[in-house]
Amino acid sequence: MKGFNVRFILPGSTKEAAVAGGTDLLSAAMKAGIVISASCGGEGLCGKCKVIIGQKKVLACETIVEHDLEVTIPRESLEIHEKGAAESEEFTKGVVLKRENAYPYFPLVTKVYLKLAAPTADDNVSDLDRICRELGKKVDSLHISTKLANVKFLSETLRDSDFEITVVLGYKEGGFSIIAVEPGDTTGRNYGFAFDIGTTTVVGQLIDLNSREILGTRIAFNKQASYGSDVITRIVFASAPEGLEKSHKAVTSNMNEMIDDLTGACGVNLGDIYAITCAGNMTMMHLLLKIDPSAIRKPPYIPTTTAFPAIHSSEAGIDANPKSLVSFLPGVGTYVGGDIVAGVLACGLFENDGLSLLIDIGTNGEIVLGNRDWMMGAAASAGPAFEGSGLSCGMKAVRGAIQKVDIDAGLNVKCDIIGGSKALGVCGSGYIDLLCQMLKRGIIDKAGKIDMNIKSSRARRGENVNEFVLAFKSETDAGKDIIITEDDIENLKRSKGAIYSAIISLLAKVGKDINEVAKIYIAGGFGNYLNIENAVSIGLLPDVKRGVYEFIGNSSLAGARMSLLSKEAFMVADGIAKSITYIDLSAEPTYMDEYVASLFFPHTNLRRFPSVRS
Amino acid sequence: MPIELIKEKCSSPINSVEIGVSGKKVVTIGGESAMPFLFDEGNMPNAPRVALEILDSEPAEWPEELIRPFGDSLKDPVGWAVKCVKDFGAGILCVRLQSTHPDYGSKDADHVIPILKSIIKETAVPLIVIGGGDDERDNIVLPKVSQALKGENCLLGIATQNNYKTLAATALADGHSIIAESPIDINIAKQVNILISDMGFNPHKILMHPTTTSLGYGMEYVYSIMERGRLAAFIGDKMLAMPFILFVGSEAWKTKEAKEAASAQGVNWEITTAVSMLQAGADLLVMRHPEAAENVRKYIEIVMNGGGKK
Repeated sequence: MKGFNVRFILPGSTKEAAVAGGTDLLSAAMKAGIVISASCGGEGLCGKCKVIIGQKKVLACETIVEHDLEVTIPRESLEIHEKGAAESEEFTKGVVLKRENAYPYFPLVTKVYLKLAAPTADDNVSDLDRICRELGKKVDSLHISTKLANVKFLSETLRDSDFEITVVLGYKEGGFSIIAVEPGDTTGRNYGFAFDIGTTTVVGQLIDLNSREILGTRIAFNKQASYGSDVITRIVFASAPEGLEKSHKAVTSNMNEMIDDLTGACGVNLGDIYAITCAGNMTMMHLLLKIDPSAIRKPPYIPTTTAFPAIHSSEAGIDANPKSLVSFLPGVGTYVGGDIVAGVLACGLFENDGLSLLIDIGTNGEIVLGNRDWMMGAAASAGPAFEGSGLSCGMKAVRGAIQKVDIDAGLNVKCDIIGGSKALGVCGSGYIDLLCQMLKRGIIDKAGKIDMNIKSSRARRGENVNEFVLAFKSETDAGKDIIITEDDIENLKRSKGAIYSAIISLLAKVGKDINEVAKIYIAGGFGNYLNIENAVSIGLLPDVKRGVYEFIGNSSLAGARMSLLSKEAFMVADGIAKSITYIDLSAEPTYMDEYVASLFFPHTNLRRFPSVRS
Repeated sequence: MPIELIKEKCSSPINSVEIGVSGKKVVTIGGESAMPFLFDEGNMPNAPRVALEILDSEPAEWPEELIRPFGDSLKDPVGWAVKCVKDFGAGILCVRLQSTHPDYGSKDADHVIPILKSIIKETAVPLIVIGGGDDERDNIVLPKVSQALKGENCLLGIATQNNYKTLAATALADGHSIIAESPIDINIAKQVNILISDMGFNPHKILMHPTTTSLGYGMEYVYSIMERGRLAAFIGDKMLAMPFILFVGSEAWKTKEAKEAASAQGVNWEITTAVSMLQAGADLLVMRHPEAAENVRKYIEIVMNGGGKK
């Protein structure tokens, strides 16, 4: 088929892609490395992927390339508003920091330097046996496996290096495996990556496996966003021809960009990356590994597997040493994945005496309730709002994001911006503060509607809906006013309602009251800051003694990192996954009622929020 | 051994809402402290009431069966109103401002206010006034109507979760009561009541419309929502303690069973819907066919007197 050139004009830059005739613009943009919003997955339903050709606004998903084109992409159609770098953001908080080294240090991939005695007529065991004999003295394992590919050139490697070699040992399925043999002593160079692969957000961390130091972190919106904003739309997309391949490529491209970027920035060779751990929800793991996820969506909602075997990065198209070992934290059930198991590992809920609760505020808001004796897990389809996606000025918790908001009685808005520069947008914690302050100052009512009679030019009629201005264009780096619209508020209200109602429904399922919970861990990609008080006052979190709460940051990433650095931790995660009982809240008759009651600030039943009422 | 029936006592009765002004006629709606007609468990100080509905302009698509009793009076809203009160015994009237809706001429407040004033003058019964159903038009027309009827203590509608502020503010200023509507959802019903009360509106001047459907069209959903609301109110939920209003006439006469049948089926459809809603806890019914209304009033009289036992 004939090829055409498409030139994309973005705010502040241009990009090009050569595509075959018949390609839609959404795919063409993807090829140029541009992620256009399309929460419906390119079905022509959501109307978010608006682009401009000439003077005309068209939908990218419905526009087919039939000749060379010049396409302008307006800012609001772009899924990624910021560069995918988290810079020095600290992602781990509270108890997770303390537990970081709770398990013995033994990375999933470890390097062992061996100076072997050269074979003689008396000592005539094979090269491989020679290695294993020596390894047995250093590693506590009866059986060490390997693969043909590693044996094939062993003779040459050994003799070229005078029997001084470094064995790369991977830990998988409860045993050690030689995954590579390198000449000389390379033990000083052993690096790994920990990934948190979320529906909306992907976070990657480069770690020195020797010093256990985090060398850098990158954060980006999941490129699959062009294929839908929630897991259901993603599964539908993946079930279409080539959909699975595209979904897989999108997320590996996210990972590879981070690997490329971080190794470049830290001067690490790709060949020295031997270990990668991934924590993600069930659907994300299926898509990453190109496993057909379609049964997840159809009753009775069954995933192919909850535990994913370790692979070599080359099998998944991940840029690292092709022999490197990629391990996955095991999940529990259809909507409770390895990310939440990682979270339980990180916060230590499974060792607590008292009743504890872990709430991961993400696109799928996962919740685990329990203690050292039992655990139950459930998920709520919260949507990506608290991750800063799907909102008119939403962004991740990175430099330029408004993370704290205060509004005084005169309706003046004071914003605290990550990195201290001018604002680019608002992140999840900023939205929580904002809603709280707007309620407090009477800017919105309990249903989330903006009062247009307030004495401020900040409340105004936008293109289609009422909106409130946080920061005017001149005060920002966004190139436009930073606003929150009634549609944004509706989105946030649904998200907070889904999470709160899931908490209450799960507690009801086991006959517990929220006041019996001794410890509540709040996880999520909120960056450095989350105001629990404000989260309670908007009805996102239950109104209990504030001392019960602890904000632990991105616990999925922390759990992935702990597993990367300790095979014990990885084994514990396996045990955690097996001991959590999965509850499908959608099968609970009371869930829907709880949900609608939660679609109010803070809640329809004000008696549940005594501190907010007073 | 005789079985002793459990009697549930409520801790908190339904609000009593007055419509109309003293000197003329006043009706009190609500006030009950038991599920409908269970006099052993509590009181119903005020019998459920029936209002007849009229439109401010000639109805366009009414079936023959519904037109017949009114005849030419349908062309003249004031004459229609008088007929309802004098000939058909209506104690309350509900005027639907259909003419203000874009589909029916987008008439302004100037057009409907004289009609409403004449109706008040000629009939002197308490008045329910509801907008044409177009949010934008209602927000322009209803405030002016509210002002013009200041002091009449009307019942104005309809406020919804997404459109309540204008109506609530104006009804509050002019001393009227208000109808708060929700889409067959107990939580949203409560939310609208909270939102309106938050504006400083007296909860004792709010009636709830839980959405009406008719016989054969999911009536049981409305029934169960009303029942749940009532039970919550009786154990002390003040934000659900408002009396219920139901528009059974307009709903029953929407159905093909009512419209297409030549016989009295439409009337019976309206009666059955109304009686079911009374059993669900309706305090005020807005009906259309005078014969149906008459029968329902008789039914109310019977059940209020102990079900004809006496």
